[in-house]
Parts: sequence; structure tokens; C-alpha cells
Amino acid sequence: MSPARSSQLLIAEDLARRGQLPAAVAACYEALAINDRDPFVHALLGHLMLEGDFYDEAIAASTQAIELDPDCSPAYLALGLAYDRRGGMWDQSVLVWHELAEVVPDLVIAHVQLGEAFAAAAFEEEAVDSWKRALELDPKEARAHYNLAIAALKHEGMSTALPTIRRAGELDPSQDELFFALLGLPAEQIEFDIATVKPERDARLFAAGMLLRGEDFFGASDLVRIVLDENPADADALALAAYAYLKQEASNEAMACALRSLTFSADLPTALYTLGVVYSRFPGLSKHSARVFIALAKSAPQHSLTHVLLAESLLGLQRYGQARQAYRAAVRLDPACVRARFGLAAVRLTEGGYAEAQWEIRRAAYYDTRRQGNFWRMYDAYAEGGDA
Amino acid sequence: MATKKPQKKTVKKPAKQQTGAAKSAEKVPMRNPDFPVGVDYYPLDEERRSWSDWYDRDVAADFAQMAAARISDVRVFVSWRALEPQVGQYDEEAIGRLERIMEAARTHDLKLIVCFFADDRLAEMNEVPWGKRRDARTDDYLIQREISLVQRIVNRYRSEPSIKAWDLGNEAFCSGFETEAALEKWVTELREAVREVDPDRPVLLGVDPETLLRETGVDPRGAIDLCERAWSHLTAPYRAYIAEGPVTSGPATYTDSFLLRAALRDLPVVVDGIGVHALDFSAAEEAAYVRTALYSALMNRASGAMLRRWRDLETEKREPYFRDPFEVLVGVIDVTGTPKPALAEVKRFAAVAARLDPRRYALAPERAAVVIPAERYEPLPSLAGLYDPRACLQAYIAAKEAHVPIAVVREGETLGAYHALYLPSPAALTAAMWADLGAFVQGGGSVVLSYGGGDVDPALREIFGVEFLGDSGPRKTFSCRVAQPGMLGDLRSFDARMELPHYALLTASGATVVATDANGSPLLTVNQYGQGKAVFIATPIERAIAQNDPWATPTPVRHLVRTVYGTVASSAGAGAMLECDMPDVEIAHFLGEDDDILLILSHNAEKTTATLTTPRTVATVQDVRGGTPAEVGGKTFGVPLGPNGVAALRVTFG
Repeated sequence: MSPARSSQLLIAEDLARRGQLPAAVAACYEALAINDRDPFVHALLGHLMLEGDFYDEAIAASTQAIELDPDCSPAYLALGLAYDRRGGMWDQSVLVWHELAEVVPDLVIAHVQLGEAFAAAAFEEEAVDSWKRALELDPKEARAHYNLAIAALKHEGMSTALPTIRRAGELDPSQDELFFALLGLPAEQIEFDIATVKPERDARLFAAGMLLRGEDFFGASDLVRIVLDENPADADALALAAYAYLKQEASNEAMACALRSLTFSADLPTALYTLGVVYSRFPGLSKHSARVFIALAKSAPQHSLTHVLLAESLLGLQRYGQARQAYRAAVRLDPACVRARFGLAAVRLTEGGYAEAQWEIRRAAYYDTRRQGNFWRMYDAYAEGGDA
Repeated sequence: MATKKPQKKTVKKPAKQQTGAAKSAEKVPMRNPDFPVGVDYYPLDEERRSWSDWYDRDVAADFAQMAAARISDVRVFVSWRALEPQVGQYDEEAIGRLERIMEAARTHDLKLIVCFFADDRLAEMNEVPWGKRRDARTDDYLIQREISLVQRIVNRYRSEPSIKAWDLGNEAFCSGFETEAALEKWVTELREAVREVDPDRPVLLGVDPETLLRETGVDPRGAIDLCERAWSHLTAPYRAYIAEGPVTSGPATYTDSFLLRAALRDLPVVVDGIGVHALDFSAAEEAAYVRTALYSALMNRASGAMLRRWRDLETEKREPYFRDPFEVLVGVIDVTGTPKPALAEVKRFAAVAARLDPRRYALAPERAAVVIPAERYEPLPSLAGLYDPRACLQAYIAAKEAHVPIAVVREGETLGAYHALYLPSPAALTAAMWADLGAFVQGGGSVVLSYGGGDVDPALREIFGVEFLGDSGPRKTFSCRVAQPGMLGDLRSFDARMELPHYALLTASGATVVATDANGSPLLTVNQYGQGKAVFIATPIERAIAQNDPWATPTPVRHLVRTVYGTVASSAGAGAMLECDMPDVEIAHFLGEDDDILLILSHNAEKTTATLTTPRTVATVQDVRGGTPAEVGGKTFGVPLGPNGVAALRVTFG
């Protein structure tokens, strides 16, 4: 049974969950004034300091929590992340992630982070083992794929690494989201009945896009077909059809529809996207993908992923300087773009910029771990008296 | 105001006659006595050695190599344990080693800074066995023994010409103090002990006021003020806190000079500890970082620079992690004595610095300052002490990117020397500061204040002409819509993905709204107050840059900050003396009678060409180290810079 948490701690938790960092820290200190041996408070304080990027403070608070309760798994998480983000503390980091991986063996992030800590300390084999273990637990763990790609790059070069980078990218749901953003769909999914769609072109295409996002390819195809029956030269409808084929692995059909769409609207971003993705999948056609993605990056420069796609196509052509510029453009637009960060790391490694490559990998981990929000899951489980 | 872009001049032909300055430059000394470059020379270079091996080696070869690299100063560390193995009994053999160091210094024309109490994590210099583990910082008996040791050494060598200064303690030793009072008491007693026998040589305390505060919570400014020299010192933990990231670009390249500026008050400041703090970097990157730090020191009013370590420490062949690697491989020569590229940088830098005679050239005065709020000294749970230094660094960088000569002051210090002030994202200012700000602006000064969250002082309405309606909380997107183009420079509307921790809801009550967010809520206001101008930014923009990703700040956000900073400084008469089209190129303008010297430093790890525009027609440009002057005959000229490159140019006007 977990110990009771003080009302001050509950206030601090509430403030922390709402992102009110200074108030939450102040509440934690009030809780500590009542009981300075409460591991919950120290663990929460460690997390809050980590959120503020105050790593030494996070390390101190998390260490205190672990000293008070060696089973305090959220404190291990905060401590390990603080070591990694701070940099220069790989030895301590390895110990923490190793410990956490034993305490919570199915915690994927522990294995990914352990691998990165090993890699930073130049224990490459152990690092690869850790990432493979992470992929056993979650085959879609993108960062493990990216790290394996970087490891392959170090040993075997870009030609081996690039397919893995692309595979990891395809696991990233943001690539599909790019297509729907280019289509102009709202971020939230709207539920509707296909029978109620207005018999108008725009309404049908909007509904088709929504259905595609929900992976209802048959419903989307029906609507697109109606639009194309009325106007076989409708570039938008052709681009949707191309995407539907792409998602069903019908690359030739996707290519044909995308090319047909572009004959009617030469810089239509959705068609460019699909055509570029198809090209990049065929070794013989991949050199054309760079041209297509250049056009895409020009027609939709506000999306970081368009620059990432361009950069990846340039990597395939071994044009590393241009790839670096494209990746940097992507990072400037979205610093949290893990895919761009790893791509940039790959380029910098190829160019001999080891330190900057390492930095990009760490920033990728930074944003990825922030996005995952594992702390609260582990904290709540710990509060209930179980493992995460 | 739009200006016609001047046509860039290229080098036409060599000038027929060298200037008088160029001729005299041929006779420059090897080193600049007013800007010495020094190095920390630790007692042990091999891990397997013990405390008793303190400086038990032939130092002459090292000193010869230092002299050849144009190094002037060497800091050596006294071992109390070696010198006084028994209470009151001094080891003449150990003293002999110290004298051999002095002899070598005399031979090679080097000056020694003797540090009495230092911790190097290896030589156990203060662990006197008879001390019985009492704290050497606070125990009265041990302090008396320290005084005896210090007086003995100072008295013995008070006429020794090779000794330049007495350093009471290094930062590692001083980090053991737990209160300001204890530190000041110790410094007072030790300093008096030195002064009793040596009234002349400067006494210093080798700590940085900012990094020691961060490390220990002890504010050492009072103790530093008891001495005659101050020290600025970037430490690895501080770097991890304020600018963790690549050392050849972005904030890390400004951190040394920021600390220097923060340490500059009334005493001359030496920038200490120049060198890398991680082993991730290639030798070329290390050299680039050392170059940046050295030039940053010279360009920002340092009185000298000290390298972090002379020789790498040779570790024992044991399992990894036995010793902190970041204290091991940070020398400028490796364990075999082979110079690293960083040492070549030192030599080149010293050659440039030698041409800068402070009696002939004076750095253009800083009329603008970043103000560190007093809340920075508040302990936890206030987060101001953690947020503010980062925000101040970003403000400092923005001013540098606007090419504004910039100082760093603290809330409560005299503001009379400045025409423009930047207060980056303070959560609260003291009532006295609000009064000072009111008087400052009334008197013709300009202020830029960014909202720091929470409630605001009523004086905001009076000085800044805005009514505060509340904090709308965090935002994920930073939107700017320019309402009054040209009023605060060339601002542009944008939407950028960037987390903002706060956003003040305002209505203008006298101020002009220059820019708003996407919903029309004021973002940037200007108010004429008395003779001066008060600019308010409705979001903690500097803190947001620091807390997001300072290496990947959206381009329009950086542009906004530096444009506002630069425009405000220019209108207040505190702006750049010359224009430069590259934000990440720092310029120091040394004014002379016949000619000026420009030091131009790139904070970018890629090649670039900076285009400089001066208010007067430039006749010739010449490398300060000599060579043929190039004719310009215009107001604009380009300066090619390599990755993290530097140019030191003598410029004549005509």
C-alpha cells in the first residue's frame, strides 16, 4: 500500500500537471517544510527541475528521492534524463538506466536511453543490444531505429544507414500528418456519415481526406471516383487517389496518379509529396525524388517535414552539404523534429562533426522524451503502489 | 528608415606608403604586458604521482615552450602539505622546488601568480596530516597556520621579480565556503597577512562571482572586492547550466565574455579557465573554442586571459571513469609534450594582442547594459535565480547580434553611465529599481523591459504607458503582427513554433502599439516618458529563447529581439558605431588617434563574409600584424572570415 500523500503535495502535483512550474516548485517546498523525507515530493521536484532544464537541481532532488526510497521508479527516470540532458555524465547515466531497466523491464525508454548512454561512452556493442531490446518491446520505437541507423552509419557508411533512417521515418506518424496538413485538413479528426456528404466537389474531397486519415481507403476511393467522374482532370482528386494507392503499397498506380495530377497543377504539394515518396522507395528512381522534394519544399516551405524529405533524398545522392542545409531549415521550423535531428546527426557524422552529431542526437532524445510524458505514468503507478 | 545600400568596395591595389602606425607596428613586443596570456600550471602531470611529488620535475622545458608560445603568466599552486609537513616545520626541499620554478620563470621572462590554497583533486595540497580533518576555511587554528605559511612565503619572496601577484585561493577551494561571512573573513585575514609583508603586489581571489554563486549559493562579490584583481571563470557545471551545446556556435561562444562582463565592476578582470569542458570535440573544434574565448576576452575589456591547463594529465591504465575525464585531457599540450592546435591559436592570438597598445587605442565605450535583476540572488523555491542568468545571456547575445557595445550590470548598481538598458524577463523588480528606471527614462534614457510573468508593479503604467490586465498563460506559437512599421526598426510579421511561458494582456494607456499577436493583443509597445523611451515586450522573450532551444531559435524571433535592441540603442545614442550585415559576427572597435583597430569575431562554425559599413570613408585596411594595407576608398568593405574566424584590422580613414 502506498503511503498517503500530503495535501501540499497534491496541490503541487495539480500545479505541475497544469504546467505551472514556479507555483508547483513553491508548493513542493511547502510540502518539504512539512515532511522533508517524502520521496514523492523529491521525485516531483526532480521532474519539475527537469522540466525547467535545471539539471543539477533535478539530479539533486531525484537522488534524494531514490535515497529515501530505492524503488522510486519515477525518480530514476528523472535522474537518468537529467544526466543525459546535462551531458558529460554518461557513466552515471548508464548505471541509472540499467537499474531502471531492471526495475521496470518493459519500459522501452529505459533501453533506448541506456543505449544512447552506452554509445556516448563508446560502448557500441552494448548500445546496439539495448536498442534491439527496445525494438523487441516496441518494434515501432522510432528513436531505436534512428540510433541503429547512426550505429550502422559509423561502421558501414551512409548506404547502409539510409534505408534504416527512412524506415524509422515511415514509422513516424508525422509524415502522414504532413500530407493531411498539405491538404488543408484541420488537426482534429471529424466524425461524419459518408451518406451525408454534400454533393459538391470540395465537400467530397474534404470528406475523402478525412476518410483517408482514418485509413478508410474504400470510402475515400468512392468519393474521389465521383469527383473524377465529373472532372477527370481534377488535380486534387488525383493527388488523393495517388495517396490512397501509396498507402496500399500500390506504388505504380500512385506514381501514375501523382504524375497525372501534376500535369494539371505542376506545383500541387499533395501530388508532389506522393510522387516524391514513391520515387524515394525505388532505388532506380530515388535520384528523381530530390527534384520533386525541392519543388515540394518550395511550394510548402512552412512545414519542417518537407525540408526533411528533401534532406533525406539529398542524403541518397551523397550531397551532404545541401542535406545539412535542408535539415537545418527543418530544425529551425520545428526544433522538436526528431527525424530532422537524427538526419542532421547523420550528416554531421559523415562530415566529421562528431560533437555536433552527438548534440543533435541528445536534442532528439530531449524532445522525444518530453513528448512521451513517461514521468506521470510512472509517478501515478508508483503512487498506486505498483511498477510503472 | 530605409537607406540606400552603399556599394561594397573591393581591394584595389596596395597603398603606396605605409602609415606611421604600420611602421611602428613592426617593433611590437612579443607579448602585450597589458593583456597577458597565462596558463594554470598544475603540480602533477601524472595520476600515479603522489602529493609528495609536488612540482618534482624539471619545469624549464615547459617554461621554454610557454615562452615560445608567447605566454606571459603562469599560475602555480602552493602545496601546504608539502611545504609544512609538520606544524611550524617547513620543508626546505619543497621550498627549493618553488625556487626552481621562480628561476625558470626568470630565465624565460615569465611572471608567476602564486596561488596559496587550491584544490586540484589530485595533489592533496591542503590536506595537512596534522590538520585532523578540520575545515581549513573556517577553523581558527588552521587559519592561523595558513597565515603563517602565507607570510613566510610572501616575506621570503617579496623582492622576487618573477612573482606578479598573490592568489589566495582557487574556485575549487573556495567552493567549500558555506557563507559569505566566512569567505569574507578568511579573505580579509589572508589578505592582511600578505599586506603586512608585501604592500605592493596585487592580491586576488581566483573565483568567478557568478559561477561560485551558482555552485555554492555563496555570493563572493564582497570577498572579491577586498582584493585588487578579479577573476572570471567558466566552469563545466555552469556551462552545462547556461549553455549546454556545441562550443563553436550559438550561446556557448558568448558565455565566456558574458561572465567576464558580469564580473567587470570596479576591478580589472582576468578571464581564467579558457579551454574545453568536454571531450566530444575534435582538436580543431577545441582550437576554435579557445580562439573564440581569447578574442572574446580581449574584445570585452578583460585584463588578461588564463588557459585552463598546460599539460594533459597522464592517467593510469585502469578501467574507465576512474578519474573525471574532463579534468584530464584539457591541456594545451598532450602528455608527450606535443602541442595541440589550441596552443598555436594562443600564439597567434598573443601576436595580435601585442599590437593593441591600450595607451594608443581605447575600446569604444558601452552606453547600453543588460541588467541582472536582484531576484537572481533569491534561493529556491524562487526560480528567478535559475531563469534570470539564462535570460540575461540571451539578452547579451541579442545586443551583440545588434552590434551594440554592451555591458552587464546588476540591479542596484549605478546606471548613470548608460543610455539604454535591457531588463530581460524579470518576474519582479524592487521598488528602488522602478524608481531608478523612472528617473532614468525621464532623464532621456531608453529601457526595454520584457514581461516576466505574474503581477506587475503599478509603475509599469506610468513609465511604459500600458495597462496590465493579467497573464494569459503559456502559448505554443509566437505570433507577431507589425502595426507600426519602421517605428522600432525593420520588424516583420511572423508565426513561429515556440513555447512562450507567459503573455501579458495589455491595453495601451499612452503607449504606441508597435506590434500585436495574432489576436490583436499588444506585443510590443513604445512609450515616450519624459525625455526617454520605454519599450515593453508582452512576453518573456529572452527567457523563452533560453528555455526553448537557443541553438534553434526561429529566425524571425531572433530578428525581432535584435532589431528592437539595436533600434532602441541607436535612438538612445548607445548603438553600434558601424554596421555589419552578419548578426553572428561580433565587432570590437578600438579607437585611436590616427587609425582605429577592429577586432571581428565570427560566432559561426561556417565560412562567412561580413560586410562592414562605417560612417566615414575608409582609406585603408590592414592586418594589424603587418602586411600591405589595402585601399578601400569607400564606406563599405567586406571581411572574409573562416569558421569561427577572426580578423584584426587596422583601419585608416580619409
